[in-house]
Amino acid sequence: MIELKHISKWYQVGGKPTFILKDINLTIKEGEFVSIMGPSGSGKSTLLHILGMLDDANEGEYHFMDQPVHSLKEKQRSQIYKQHVGFVFQAYHLIDELTVYENIETPLIYQNIKTNERKAMVADMIDRFNIVGKKDLFPTQLSGGQQQLVGIARALIAKPKLLLADEPTGNLNSKQGEEIMDLFKQLNKEGVTIIQVTHSEKNAGYGSHIINLLDGRIEKTN
Amino acid sequence: MLKNYFKTAWRSIVRNKAFSLINIIGLSIGIAASLLLFIVVQYELSYDTFQPNYNRIYRVATQDKFDKDITYNSGIPVPALKALRAEFPQIQFGALQSAYGSQVTVPADKNETGNKFIEETGVFFIEPQLFDVFKYQWLTGSPASLKDPNNVVLDEKTATKYFGTWQQAIGKTVVLDNAITLKVNGILKNTPANSDLPLSVIISYVTLEKCGQSYNHFDTWNTTSSNFNIMALLPPAVKMDDVDRGLLQFSKNHYQPLQSNSIKTNFLQPLSTFHFDRRFASFGDHVTSKSTLLTLSLIGIFIILMACVNFINLATALSVNRSKEVGIRKVLGSNRSQLFGQIMSETAVIVGISILAALGITWAVLPYIKHIASIQEQLSLFTIQNLIMVVSIGIIVTLLAGLYPSLVLSKYNPITALKNKMVTAGVSGVSLRRGLVIMQFTISQVLIIATTVAISQMNFISKAELGFNKEGVLILNGKSDSISLSKQSAFKQQLLQIPGVQSVSFNNDPPSSDNLWSTNFAYNHQPDEKFQISLKFTDADYLKTFGLQLLTGRSPVESDTMREVMINETLVKKLGIKNPNEVIGKVIRIGRNQWYPVVGVVKDFKTSSLREDIKPTLITTRKTFYYCTGIKIRTQQLANTQLAIQKVWNQFYPEYAYSSQFFDENIERFYQQEEQLSLLYKIFAGLAIFISCLGLYGLVSFMAVQKTKEVGIRKVLGASIISLLQLFSKEFTILIIVSFFISVPVAWYMMHSWLNNFVYRIPLSSWFFITAIVSSIAIAWITVGYKAIKAAIANPVKALRSE
Repeated sequence: MIELKHISKWYQVGGKPTFILKDINLTIKEGEFVSIMGPSGSGKSTLLHILGMLDDANEGEYHFMDQPVHSLKEKQRSQIYKQHVGFVFQAYHLIDELTVYENIETPLIYQNIKTNERKAMVADMIDRFNIVGKKDLFPTQLSGGQQQLVGIARALIAKPKLLLADEPTGNLNSKQGEEIMDLFKQLNKEGVTIIQVTHSEKNAGYGSHIINLLDGRIEKTN
Repeated sequence: MLKNYFKTAWRSIVRNKAFSLINIIGLSIGIAASLLLFIVVQYELSYDTFQPNYNRIYRVATQDKFDKDITYNSGIPVPALKALRAEFPQIQFGALQSAYGSQVTVPADKNETGNKFIEETGVFFIEPQLFDVFKYQWLTGSPASLKDPNNVVLDEKTATKYFGTWQQAIGKTVVLDNAITLKVNGILKNTPANSDLPLSVIISYVTLEKCGQSYNHFDTWNTTSSNFNIMALLPPAVKMDDVDRGLLQFSKNHYQPLQSNSIKTNFLQPLSTFHFDRRFASFGDHVTSKSTLLTLSLIGIFIILMACVNFINLATALSVNRSKEVGIRKVLGSNRSQLFGQIMSETAVIVGISILAALGITWAVLPYIKHIASIQEQLSLFTIQNLIMVVSIGIIVTLLAGLYPSLVLSKYNPITALKNKMVTAGVSGVSLRRGLVIMQFTISQVLIIATTVAISQMNFISKAELGFNKEGVLILNGKSDSISLSKQSAFKQQLLQIPGVQSVSFNNDPPSSDNLWSTNFAYNHQPDEKFQISLKFTDADYLKTFGLQLLTGRSPVESDTMREVMINETLVKKLGIKNPNEVIGKVIRIGRNQWYPVVGVVKDFKTSSLREDIKPTLITTRKTFYYCTGIKIRTQQLANTQLAIQKVWNQFYPEYAYSSQFFDENIERFYQQEEQLSLLYKIFAGLAIFISCLGLYGLVSFMAVQKTKEVGIRKVLGASIISLLQLFSKEFTILIIVSFFISVPVAWYMMHSWLNNFVYRIPLSSWFFITAIVSSIAIAWITVGYKAIKAAIANPVKALRSE
């Protein structure tokens, strides 16, 4: 599903390139649950952003479902991204002006899905996540765990093949975190490919693979 | 999608209440102001456009080229009418003669003298052919009703005023100026208010054959009166330039044999310039110069721009706060155009709300528009043009205000946006914001300077030494027919019996007026001089009544005809004579008259508005021109004295309606347009300052939030409150000083040319400019002060803890 070849990313600092990622080669198959680990500044988030097509690499090739993402135009890339990728953040990143319902609905709007269809899909998702009673509340009225639940619901609404999560449990207490990780496990069983960045060994254990990053290189994979 | 846009738009407006409010207040005031100005400008531009042949109608006007200057006259000598018809058969001509201050008497059964109406304007002697040129709607009758002498056509409102209903007017008779009996045989629909040819009492032109003299209608090539106009309708194929060439030859043929001291030429003046050309007299109630209309339009555009600037400034400032939302939306799959659409629709919602508010403001203010513009008519807000204007303002403002913020926001890179690291966008946003603030303050300062200059000039005018006494002089308008004249001396005696009356003078014209009676003349048996002199015909009490001062010699002795003359200082100077005593005993001839001795020189007084130079003037006696009665009255018991005067009038002239004005009110009317412009400047300078302060307040409130941490750190490090206030006010002060240097040349140029309209004007001193900069800095500091002080005295621990 995903193939990275010789991916490098650097910034120019004082005329010299400072590498964030250096020569990353990586293959992830459909249905895998991969955890990326590593200390702060090791390039985890950057790698996730490149995988999620939110950021470009300076060098290297990125194939996503046999499409050469690195050489695609913005528009085509955005098309692939909209259809196949969902994102979950540590800080949830819900839109404060929108209700729970509307937050979940937003990605569908950007895919130009019709109102009736949208209603049905959102209703299903709300049912599934058991947040019917909260659908008209605004994000600030929810607890952190609930907010992240909404964030995941929103990431899944467009039925993505790939779910990317940047420390999804970082802001949650351990019980809430466990619930989220159980949910991820469940989703993975249903066929969603998941790549998560995490600090926690325990959370990384939920995945099938762990990739360890250090100073922009893959240290080891297991 | 759109519904979703508007929903989020509404929520974000509600969430950022203060900013939305500032935007909506600024925009709605801006839109209302420019909408009002649009209505005024549009109304002025619409004059006579309802005429179906608007683009083919012309007036045959006259210019006189003297040695040094050219004078223009909307009139033409009367015999030109026949000559034009003979020599330009392809053109349709129609003539009209206007009469001012005519009295129309409507005979009543019981009341012997009838009902008297003074018609200041709207009375015309008109040829049936004029209606080939100008189209009017006839309720009954037709242009043929004006074929025979002693016929009159009334417009609907005048007929109703005279007879109750217009139907009752038909076939009735009225008496014009107690001399001519006229039969009503036609009714016109009222002329629209936006016409420079408002007809109310239309008398058949042929009636003039018998009474032309009383209306200054002389059938000679020597006299040109602006009261006699010839209008022309050109056939579609004929060009104005070709006719003008023909008229040049026509003028040579007819005027050269007259051997006057000027070269007289006729030419066509298009109807489309009637309302805007101040060189020509107008039959309407005012003429508006195109430059005034341009000023109004520019002010309108500026005010809207300022409101847009506020919007852009606040939106870009807020965009830092919104970067997170934009980032999330991008991660959720929104592309740039979708985000752009969303932010634009937010702008559209704010603009929409502002437009509704603006319509409300305009609706409430519209009835007061007559104070800033010469529009007496009740204008309607909901016309097609206005609605088109509102919609286009909406679109333009949305684009202007929304474009930049939408571009900035939609451009954000989602990753950096989510991390709240909007460094790059911030820098460019700030410099644009500075530019916009400079623009705002430039506009406000230009308007402040314009306002103070205009106010000072108008004060200067009202306090100017006029050379005569304008207070407490009552002017009665009368007629100079032989019966009235014979009663004059008894009338005067009776008036002088009234305790409040100090002196009484009969004359043709008060000292200062817009009267254009001037003539060629010769001095001391020499050939005609190269310039014209104005004439005033007055009795011996003129000086005393109006408080004019004699420089040397004496007033002409009382006489029914011309015998002796008095001249003004300016005339002495223009003749190149240093010592006024020299002219005493010399002779002067006006026109082709006899020579008359000069017996006195009067000290200079302002003969017309202060826009013009003092005219060389000759004052002499001639009873037949004494239409005017000037009465100097004591200011105590004014009302009683006026009543007593009216009683005496009615006793002597029961057949004439009593009409009086105070002289100083007449003089104020000279400056009506200037007063309006100065009021306009006051209002709009106020609005401009208000709008820019709103924007400034918004920016500072934003800055206060942004700088909370910085202020906290500085305070912990020991910064004083004063130094913190500087942190906030320094930048704005610099921006204001920069905009000051831009506004100085603009305002100087603008007001310099405005002041040049006046011969008597104030100097454009540096104080006007200093006032502008000092007041704008003061206003800005006050605006910034509250928020800045609040931020500066806040507890630093609190500010830092929130991080």
